[in-house]
Amino acid sequence: MAASGRLGRMADLRLRPLAAVLLVVLIGIPIARLLGVALGDGPTVVAATLTDSRVAGAIGNSLWTAALVALLATSGGTALALATERAGLPGTAWIRAGILLPLLCPPFVTAFGWTRAYGPRGLTDQALGIELPGLYGPLGIVLVLAVAAAPLAWLIVAGALASRLEPDLERAARAAGAGPGTTLRTVTLPLLRPAILSALVVTFVFAVNAFGVPAILGTPAGFATITTRMYQDLARSADPAAFVEAGILAATLVALALLVVGPADAWLTGRAAARTAETAGGRGARVPGGGRGARGSRARSIAAAGIGLGFVLLTLLPLCAVLLTALTRAVGLAPVPGNWTLANFGEALDARFGDALATSLLLAAAAATIVLPLGALLAVLAGRSRTRGGNVLRTAATLGFALPGSALAVAVLLAYGGWLRDTLAIILVAYLAKFWALGQRQVAGSLERLPADALRAARASGAGGWTAVRTIGAPLLRPSLLAGWIVVFLFALHELTMSSLLYGPRSATLSVVVLNAQQLGDPTVSAALAVLLVGLIAVIALPLAFMARART
Amino acid sequence: MSTPARPTSFDRTRSLAATAVGLLLVLAACSSGGSSPRPSSTSAPGGTTLPSAAAQPGGTITLYTSVTQATVDAVADGFRDAHPGVTVDVFRAPTAEVAARIATDLQSGGIRADVLWLTDPLSIAPYADRGLLQAWSPPSAAAIPAAYRADTFFGTRLLNMVIVRGASVTPGPADWRDLLAADLRDAVGIPDPGFAGSAFAALAHFDQAAGYGMPFYRSLKDNGATQVKSPDDVTTGVAEGRFKAGITLDNSARTAIRKGSPIALVWPGSGAIAIYSPIAAVAASPNLVGADAFVEFTLSGPGQALIAGTGWQPVVGPGGPAPEGTQVSPDWAAAFGRQRELLDRYRAIFGG
Repeated sequence: MAASGRLGRMADLRLRPLAAVLLVVLIGIPIARLLGVALGDGPTVVAATLTDSRVAGAIGNSLWTAALVALLATSGGTALALATERAGLPGTAWIRAGILLPLLCPPFVTAFGWTRAYGPRGLTDQALGIELPGLYGPLGIVLVLAVAAAPLAWLIVAGALASRLEPDLERAARAAGAGPGTTLRTVTLPLLRPAILSALVVTFVFAVNAFGVPAILGTPAGFATITTRMYQDLARSADPAAFVEAGILAATLVALALLVVGPADAWLTGRAAARTAETAGGRGARVPGGGRGARGSRARSIAAAGIGLGFVLLTLLPLCAVLLTALTRAVGLAPVPGNWTLANFGEALDARFGDALATSLLLAAAAATIVLPLGALLAVLAGRSRTRGGNVLRTAATLGFALPGSALAVAVLLAYGGWLRDTLAIILVAYLAKFWALGQRQVAGSLERLPADALRAARASGAGGWTAVRTIGAPLLRPSLLAGWIVVFLFALHELTMSSLLYGPRSATLSVVVLNAQQLGDPTVSAALAVLLVGLIAVIALPLAFMARART
Repeated sequence: MSTPARPTSFDRTRSLAATAVGLLLVLAACSSGGSSPRPSSTSAPGGTTLPSAAAQPGGTITLYTSVTQATVDAVADGFRDAHPGVTVDVFRAPTAEVAARIATDLQSGGIRADVLWLTDPLSIAPYADRGLLQAWSPPSAAAIPAAYRADTFFGTRLLNMVIVRGASVTPGPADWRDLLAADLRDAVGIPDPGFAGSAFAALAHFDQAAGYGMPFYRSLKDNGATQVKSPDDVTTGVAEGRFKAGITLDNSARTAIRKGSPIALVWPGSGAIAIYSPIAAVAASPNLVGADAFVEFTLSGPGQALIAGTGWQPVVGPGGPAPEGTQVSPDWAAAFGRQRELLDRYRAIFGG
C-alpha cells in the first residue's frame, strides 16, 4: 500500500506536467481562443444572447434531450453488457457484433435511415400503414441518439465486466444462497457503478454535441438545440455578430460539460479510491455460467431473441431503408426490383474518393493510435493518484469532446491556423482534442481496477515496471484498449464537420466527398455513399471487434 | 523496489509523446511538403512589385467557394487552360463551413483566399460592407443585368426558387398564393431559411413583395405547412408523397425529375425568385492580378458556357436550363443587414 502510494506519487510528479502541457496545447489554447471570440463583444452581449428566449429554449432543449439520451443509452448498454458478459446467451458473439453496428454509421446516415424506415411514407408506412409518431421532434431525436449512443455505453460497461470485475465475488454470493437477482443488485451493479457513471458521462456529452440528428429530425418540428442554432449562426457568420453568438453557444456547451462532468469525475475518483483496497486481486477471469437448468436455458433463449428483435427494429431496418434508397432509381419510386439500379453508386464515387479514403484512414488510424496512450496517461493519473490533480486533468480532456465538430474546428483554426493551416496535422490536432476523452473513458474503467496486488507481486519478484505492465497489466487490459482504439478510429473516420472546415487543397478527407454528394441534393446518391461508407467501415472494424473478443 | 520503475515508465511515456509529436510533423510535411506554391503566393513577388508583370497573371490563387463541386471543377480547369501560369487552390464546403473559415481567417490576420465564390448575395454582402472586397469593373460585368451585380461582387449563375408538386396533384398550385389552398392543408413543405441561403432569399422576397409579407408565412403555418432543412428535403418529401407541394430550387426539382421521380416543376405565375451566385476578388489579396483574372474568366463567355454545361442557368449568355417564365428578385440592398430581424420574425412563426 505504502509502496504503491509512493510509486503513484512519483509517477504523478513526472506524468502530470506532461499531461498538463498536452492538454493545454490540444484543448486549452483552442478553447481559450474560442472564449476570446465569445467574450469579444463584452459581457452585455453574452448576457443578452443567453437571455434571448429562443437561445435559452435551445439550451434547455439540448439539456433535457441529452439527459434522457444518457439515461436510456446507459441503461440499455448496461443491460446488454450483462447479457453478453454474464448471461451466457446463445449466439453471444453475434449479439456483440450487432451491438457494435450502430457505431459504424455516421449520425447523418442513422437519422436518414430512421426517416426512411419509420417516417411518413417510409418503409413501414408503405408496407403496413404504420409510422412512428413523433419521429420528427424531440422524441425522435432522443430515440435515435439513444440507439446511436448505446454501443458506447455497452463498450464501457462490457469492458469493465470482461477485464476486471471479479466473478469470485459473484460466485461467493451465489454459493452463499443469493439468487441471480440479489447477486446482480448487491454485488455486480455496485461494482459496476464507476463504469456506469463513466458511460452516463460519455453518452450525455455525445448527445449534447450531436448535430446531424437534431438538424434532420428537429427542424420539421421547429425544435432547436444548441448545436443546430450554432450551425445556423455559423452559416450567417459573415455577420460578425452571428459569429460571436456561435462562440457564445460553444462556450455554453463547454460550461455545461464542466458542470455535468466535473462533479461526476470527482465522485468517481472518490469511489474508485475507496474500493481499490476492498476488491484488489481479481484475475479478470471469464464469466461464471450462472444457472444451467432447463428453465435458465429457456430464459436465455428468450432474452437472446428479444435482443435480436431489438437489433432488427432499431438498427437493421433503418440500414435496410438506406440500402433500398441507394438502390432505387429516384426518390418517390417504389423500392421494388423494377426500379433498382446501381447508377447511384457510380455517382457517389467521386474522382476524389480513393485519395480521400486513404487520407481519412491514415488520419483515423493516427488519431486512434495516439489517443490511446494519451487516454491511458490521464486514466493512470486520475485512477491511481487519488488526488484532485488527475481528476481536473480528466475533466479538462472532456471539454474537447463536448464541443460540436464545427465549434472545435473553429477553435483549432483560431489557435493553429497560422502555421498548420491546410495540413493533415491540423486535422489530427482537432481529432486528438475531440477524441482524447473518448479514448480515456473507454480505457479508464478497466485501468482503475487493474489488479494492484498482481502488479505488486510481479514487482516484488523482480520484474521491472514495464515488464510488470506488459506481462500482467497489458493482457488484462487488451480488450478494453482495443475497443478504445476501434471506437476512436470509427469516430474519426466518419467525422464530417471538422475536416470539412480544416482540410486543405492536398488533404481532402472523406467528409469532402460526402458533403459534395449531399450538395448534389439527391438523396439516392447520398444513400449510396452512406452504404459504401458503412460497408467499408464494417470490413475494417468488425474483424477488429471479433479479434478483441477472441483475446479475452 | 519501486526505484527501477521510475525511469522506465517515464522514458516510455516520453517516447510515446515524442512519437506523437513526430507523427504530427510527418503529417504536416506530407501534406504541405509537395506544395511549395502556397508560401510563394503569400509573398507574391509577381503582381505588386513589378509593373510589367501586372498584365500576366501568375503565382497561386486560393478560391473559397460553396458552389457545387462539378461547377467549380469545370471553371477552375477552364481557367487553368486559359492561364497555364496560375495555380488554383480550391477550398469547397457548404456555406456555413466557408463562412466559419472566413470568420476565423478574419480573427487571425485576414481572409486567406484571393477569390470568394458563394451561393447567394446575402452571404457575401457583409464582407463588401466591411470593405474586404475589391471594388472594380471586370470587363465582362457590363453584360450582367444590374439586378445581378454590385460594385464588388458579380452574379455568375442563377438559382430559381420555384414550386414543386406531386405528379398526381392536379391541377395543383400555379402561384405562391395557391400553396395556401385548403386542398394542400398539412401537405406543403418549405425549406428553413436558417439553414438554406436560398430559403432566406425567398424570405427576403416575400417580406418585400406586395400582398405577401410575413402574413404569408403565418398563413402557410396556419395551413399546416412543414419546414424541413433544405430545398432538397422539400423535393424529396414531395416525391415520396409526404407533401403534395412545396417551395424548392429549380435545379433540385430538375435533378429528381430527370431520374424519374413522380413530381412536376411549377414556374410560379408571378415569377420564380432568382438568386444570383456572386463572385468577388478579396481586396487584400497578395495576388490581385490572378484573382481578377479568375473573376473575369468566370464572367466571360467561356466561363459562362462552362457553368451552363454543369446544369445551371448562366447569368449571361445561352445554355443551361432556360427559365420557364418571369424571374423576380428581392431588393438585395434592402435585405442586407436585416437578416437577423427577418430570421427572428420567421422563427416566431415556424420555430427553430
